[in-house]
Amino acid sequence: MASGKSPLHSLRRQNTKDQVNDNTMTGSFPVVRKKPLKSHHSMGAKLLTSCMVALLCAMLGFGYVTQQRNMQSSYASLSETELVRLLDETNTQVSQLESQKLKLESQLQSIQSAADKQKEVERIAKENEVTSGILSGRLPAQGEGVEITITQNSEHVDSSTMFNLLEELRNAGAEVIQIDNVRVVTSTSFVDTDNGLICDGETLSQPYQILAIGDSNALQNAVEIAGGVGARLRAQLKAGVDVEQKDMVKITKVRPTREYKYAKTVE
Amino acid sequence: MAAILGLIIGVVVGIFLKPTIPVELQPYLPIMVVAALDALLGAARSYFERNFNDRVFVISFITNVLIATLLVFLGNQLGVGSQLTTAVIVVLGIRIFSNASAIRRFIFRG
Repeated sequence: MASGKSPLHSLRRQNTKDQVNDNTMTGSFPVVRKKPLKSHHSMGAKLLTSCMVALLCAMLGFGYVTQQRNMQSSYASLSETELVRLLDETNTQVSQLESQKLKLESQLQSIQSAADKQKEVERIAKENEVTSGILSGRLPAQGEGVEITITQNSEHVDSSTMFNLLEELRNAGAEVIQIDNVRVVTSTSFVDTDNGLICDGETLSQPYQILAIGDSNALQNAVEIAGGVGARLRAQLKAGVDVEQKDMVKITKVRPTREYKYAKTVE
Repeated sequence: MAAILGLIIGVVVGIFLKPTIPVELQPYLPIMVVAALDALLGAARSYFERNFNDRVFVISFITNVLIATLLVFLGNQLGVGSQLTTAVIVVLGIRIFSNASAIRRFIFRG
């Protein structure tokens, strides 16, 4: 009986052992709890914790926005290598801009000097224009000078005397001369006729009135000097010579510019 | 609910107040923000796992931020501030990713 009962007993024991050994729950996997942990707090504590949660989340949002704002405006959050790289970049940029600035400055200088040169040339050209205009009789002129009136009596005032007078005035530094209505230029000539003098194709009316611009004292002296042209006019030709110094002599007669046919300027 | 409300309030206050953070706090603020984000995501995960506990959340939030700040502070004291900041950011990033993937699994598995 005992031997018949014993194998059954051992079989049963073996079965329970196998069940334990065949257990697949190794314990290495996390076991999800079936029931959530019920908190048995009071109403006040619940309110307090939810307030805390809200406060912490508010702090998180606040910190996030603050940091984001701060990032946009400063280099404080950059690392050292980034800062060095940034500095290098800025330096190269600065040197590039510096060289560009130098180039542009030299360009500006050259342009300015060119403009100055151009201005100078223009100024000289204008000056020359005025000078040569006055010289060639193209422009009217005014200034300090003398007015000479020659009244012809019995004798004719001949062309050589008139020419002498002109030369004396020129020697004395007369810049612009007008005889009656004729502007005296380099090509001016006198011709003797029975009715009097013809100057550049125009018959001069008497009394001859000569306007000259220059140093009025020197011009008067040139005419009135002893043995000069004034004395010759008075003594030999018995003409009346009147020299009047004036502060303002206006010479308004002009000559058209002459077209040069053969002469050309040397380039 | 309280968390979302708090977040919105914080962002609005930050936008309208335009605060300037003190210089000595500047290196810690980004770390604090990332640590807080990690805590928030952990809370979200536990919420989906139905074992969210607000007390645990508050404590984990505060300790997360404090530990991250202390680590960076220690790194600054030892002269390895930037490296330790990177390390903390990496670890928190990994945690954020794993939390996010857990949440994703909960959402998409239904």
